[in-house]
Amino acid sequence: MSEQFEPNLVAFVCNWCTYAGADLAGTSRIQYPPNLSVIRVMCTGRINPLFVLNALQQGADGVLVSGCHPGDCHYMEGNYYARRRFTLMKDLLEYVGVDPKRFHMSWVSASEGAKWKEVVETTVNEAKEVGPFEQFQRNKINW
Amino acid sequence: MNNKPKIGVYVCHCGMNIAKTVDVEAVSEFASRLPYVKVARNYSYMCSDPGQQLIKEDIKNEGLTRVVVASCSPRMHENTFRKTLAAAGLNPYYLEMANIREHCSWVHENREEATAKAKKLVYAAVAKVRLLEPLEEKEVEVEPSALIVGGGIAGIQAALDIAAAGFKVYMVEKTPSVGGKMSQLDKTFPTLDCSACILTPKMVDVASHPNIELMTYSQVEDITGYVGNFNVKVRKKARYVDINKCTGCGACAQECRLAGTIPSEFNMGLGKRAAIYLPFPQAVPAKYTIDKERCLFLTRGKCGKGPKCIEACAAGAINFEQQDEIVEFKVGTIIIATGYELFDPAKKPEYGYADYDNVITGLELERLVAASGPTGGEIVIGKGEKAIVPKEVAFISCVGSRDESVGKPYCSRVCCMYSAKLAHLVTEKLPDANVRIYYMDVRAFGKGYEEFYDRVRREGVRYIRGNPSEIFKRGDKLVIKAEDTLAGRTLEDEVDLVVLATGLEPRQDAREIIDILKLSQSADGFYLEAHPKLAPVDTATDGVYLAGCAQGPKDIPDTVAQAKGAASSALILLSSGKVKVQAQISNINEATCRGCGYCVEICPFGAIDLVEVNRMGNIVQVARVNEALCKGCGACAAGCFSGSAQQKSFKDQQILPQIAVLGAMK
Amino acid sequence: MADLEKLRAVAKETVSRDDVKYLIGWRQGTYGFRVSPHFITEPEEADKLIFSPLCSNNLATYLTLVEKLPVPRGQEPDTRKIALMVKGCDSRAVVQQLVEQGIKRESVIIIGCPCQGVVDLAKVEEKFPAVLEQVEARWDDGKIVFKLSEGEKAVPREEVLADKCLRCRYPNPVTADTLLWEKVEAESNDEYADVGELEGKAPEERWSFWEAYFSSCIRCYSCRNVCPMCYCEDCILDRLNPTWVNRSNNISENTAFHLARAFHLAGRCIECGECERVCPVNIPLMKLNRKLTKEVREKFEYEPGTDPDSKPLQASYRPNDQENFIL
Repeated sequence: MSEQFEPNLVAFVCNWCTYAGADLAGTSRIQYPPNLSVIRVMCTGRINPLFVLNALQQGADGVLVSGCHPGDCHYMEGNYYARRRFTLMKDLLEYVGVDPKRFHMSWVSASEGAKWKEVVETTVNEAKEVGPFEQFQRNKINW
Repeated sequence: MNNKPKIGVYVCHCGMNIAKTVDVEAVSEFASRLPYVKVARNYSYMCSDPGQQLIKEDIKNEGLTRVVVASCSPRMHENTFRKTLAAAGLNPYYLEMANIREHCSWVHENREEATAKAKKLVYAAVAKVRLLEPLEEKEVEVEPSALIVGGGIAGIQAALDIAAAGFKVYMVEKTPSVGGKMSQLDKTFPTLDCSACILTPKMVDVASHPNIELMTYSQVEDITGYVGNFNVKVRKKARYVDINKCTGCGACAQECRLAGTIPSEFNMGLGKRAAIYLPFPQAVPAKYTIDKERCLFLTRGKCGKGPKCIEACAAGAINFEQQDEIVEFKVGTIIIATGYELFDPAKKPEYGYADYDNVITGLELERLVAASGPTGGEIVIGKGEKAIVPKEVAFISCVGSRDESVGKPYCSRVCCMYSAKLAHLVTEKLPDANVRIYYMDVRAFGKGYEEFYDRVRREGVRYIRGNPSEIFKRGDKLVIKAEDTLAGRTLEDEVDLVVLATGLEPRQDAREIIDILKLSQSADGFYLEAHPKLAPVDTATDGVYLAGCAQGPKDIPDTVAQAKGAASSALILLSSGKVKVQAQISNINEATCRGCGYCVEICPFGAIDLVEVNRMGNIVQVARVNEALCKGCGACAAGCFSGSAQQKSFKDQQILPQIAVLGAMK
Repeated sequence: MADLEKLRAVAKETVSRDDVKYLIGWRQGTYGFRVSPHFITEPEEADKLIFSPLCSNNLATYLTLVEKLPVPRGQEPDTRKIALMVKGCDSRAVVQQLVEQGIKRESVIIIGCPCQGVVDLAKVEEKFPAVLEQVEARWDDGKIVFKLSEGEKAVPREEVLADKCLRCRYPNPVTADTLLWEKVEAESNDEYADVGELEGKAPEERWSFWEAYFSSCIRCYSCRNVCPMCYCEDCILDRLNPTWVNRSNNISENTAFHLARAFHLAGRCIECGECERVCPVNIPLMKLNRKLTKEVREKFEYEPGTDPDSKPLQASYRPNDQENFIL
């Protein structure tokens, strides 16, 4: 059954590095699985850790947060705050039994189209391994 | 107002770029059935004139209030379509893009999967767009003047450029004279120009330029405001000399009871000065200053029967009643050119700088070889009978550079070349001297540098690859213990003089400006530029630029180039006269704000302040965004527990629907 | 040793001051082992103040709960100080509120009560079930002595003290204007054994563990309301636009509520244990909070509520914060 399972993933990425890196993957025609969709924000610093909880509740089988490498943030410090916040959120999720394979964070720069592919593949494959995440999901779409 | 949004969705084929893998017909059909969607179309090139015309006509004919364009990356065409909306009379921020090219058709092969994903992305955009709010692009006027902090060669060059363009410049220099470190140099590498000869005219120009207001012996106390409108507060320290009266004749210094007893900063303590002094003969302004830490009258309230300087001054310029003066003015832009300090070699005790008189720094040697220096240009170590003219001279490079053990992992970029220059000057002045340079690597990267390095070696300067481990005294000589790593042998080298090529480090008072302007520091402690490659003179604070060694070690040509770059950046602002501020900025709901100050701490741009407001008679503290300073990163919004801080166009209530759609659509 | 005379004398003197609005302390509750907060404005009310092993309540909560009533036109707002009695853990709440600017230091008077540990009511009531008369208690050399109608009963402290007290590292107020009596020695250390035990289990077991508790949650919000650090006037978990968490009571929403609450306390929880104490369905909330407290201590070397000059953990960073989980 898990062989047929196609996970649904949501990614939150910053405009300046990872979104641009994903754009580069596109212009370079680098192929990767379609299971992950991106929500663009200006900076990883904008990504409220509660977004991750919300995405899991709304039906995502896994979540990715990605932004500029440390020191490269377009706004100088946003990714440092994000790193702290998601360190804690990851610990919390893991502790209540959400498999760590469902939440990832990565640094992907505007020049790392190839790395973006790897990150997407890792995220998708790990979500496949752990299967659907129905325990935490809402029963209906809510917006 | 009818608040039910009417959404138009436009699916682009991008020729075959999208249409080849995404069933654009199916996507627009899907979109047409989504909530609040009035029209959904697909077209070969949305960004083309007819494509944009399609949107404009629908806005007019169908009364659309929101637009979704599903095409390429918003990084590519967001601005294009914003202009389309604006041209049709719709707020440009009522646009949301779904990236079905870079993030979909180009990266997925399976048509079915790609089409499904494109639908999802379009749905998410529709979910968000209906909640977008109209935003305003504000402009602020730019005060036509600039502040330059620091009067070294970087500040001088920037000031002259901006003044030449016709704008007012305020230059604030901490010490009594402009000139900076460059004024202490004898010659400059690799051309061996006389440093004073090329610098002094520029110093004089700064003082005499009608557009430049020079404030020496002054210090920036506070800066508030934002790009285009900074309010600057400067403390002019009391120099106890009326500079309007002082003629710079020097009679006061000759008469001063402490004449010849106080180590001269300019001469690195090798020469002496009086308590009332001119830092160096070419100082600008050529006005005397009383050292209030030393002056007998100011420290003890008594100087013989009365201060002799008063008697000596025919102009009546001495005024012991003088007080610090605070001046305030407005500027549109700021250049930080505060320079550097030299590494303190006492932190490397193995080199014996603190113990032996004949271990000196490069800048000390610079003063010794300078004709205007304390020895009149003679290289003499020690005084009186003990004075010697060194015969064996050794330089040690990388003292306080590329050295993790003292927390200085970086290269100071000038030491290799100034060592070579000083070595050359030593061989020139003392033809019998044997000069060697202990080095790790020689970095001769600039124009004419490698050639100069070759020349110095041809002149007989020996380069020994190895970092000395210890210097100790044996009789009258200093012994350098080192390993010649190229020859693979250890050696003990007896010399008369050791010159330490000390590296450059951030100023001890660098924090003052950081606290005032909320600048950032890079790991090495120098001020951080906005981007290491593409914005090397900018800072994270709009309207504030960096020049010279304040940003990192540099030689004079690079410093001047950067100063001109900073001046040019400042002039872009000044000459355009106004500056656009971000529209997608943060905003704080003061009604729910608890005033915890998290956002104030988090904001990388110092754009948020806590202010007191009256809430039904109670004074409470809330956070408030300065719209001109906010750059729209949204870090405050994610850090705000009560959700009071929100970033426009990226509000929680605009992002959560996107999450809901992407989560639910499997 | 708790000196009630001293406590009452200090309280009287404090509350008599013109610049003091009121004082918050503890008094005997209406029945059994219960203790109530005691707000006094007059010196004579001080005689009811107590300090005993029953004084679990963290009164610091009331500093941020103060409702600011509209001030009639022409009148000045009342800016007099509030005096507060604190145990060690309570004082950490005050310090963290200072860090987060919820209160101003000059607007509070902190009366510090070095504390030898307070009881866990569940443990006490198990030993002495169905006691309706008011019971007093005191510390006595490693024992807790209860004054019941049938006479005094001494119980070893380990048997009745709250878990948080048995591992307490801050029995003495970290800040106080007055310290009522001599300091108490802290328990040796806190190795987070309770957290470690759960960490050692498989993910599915951990999920089942919490699922059982969260599904019993009745969403009464007591945990949030009692927390001295939950001071938002308008909690995002109550809000409808946007709706972060639905109000429906099911495992998804309950889990999201508890995780969001725990996350908002990361780097802020001062481990007073009030949330767990007041939970009517006995969710081990401190086991959740303490996971993050542990990580915050280990990864960021940060301990909330100990340094009024520190920057809040979630509003600061170090460039070299560890990041071994990042791809």
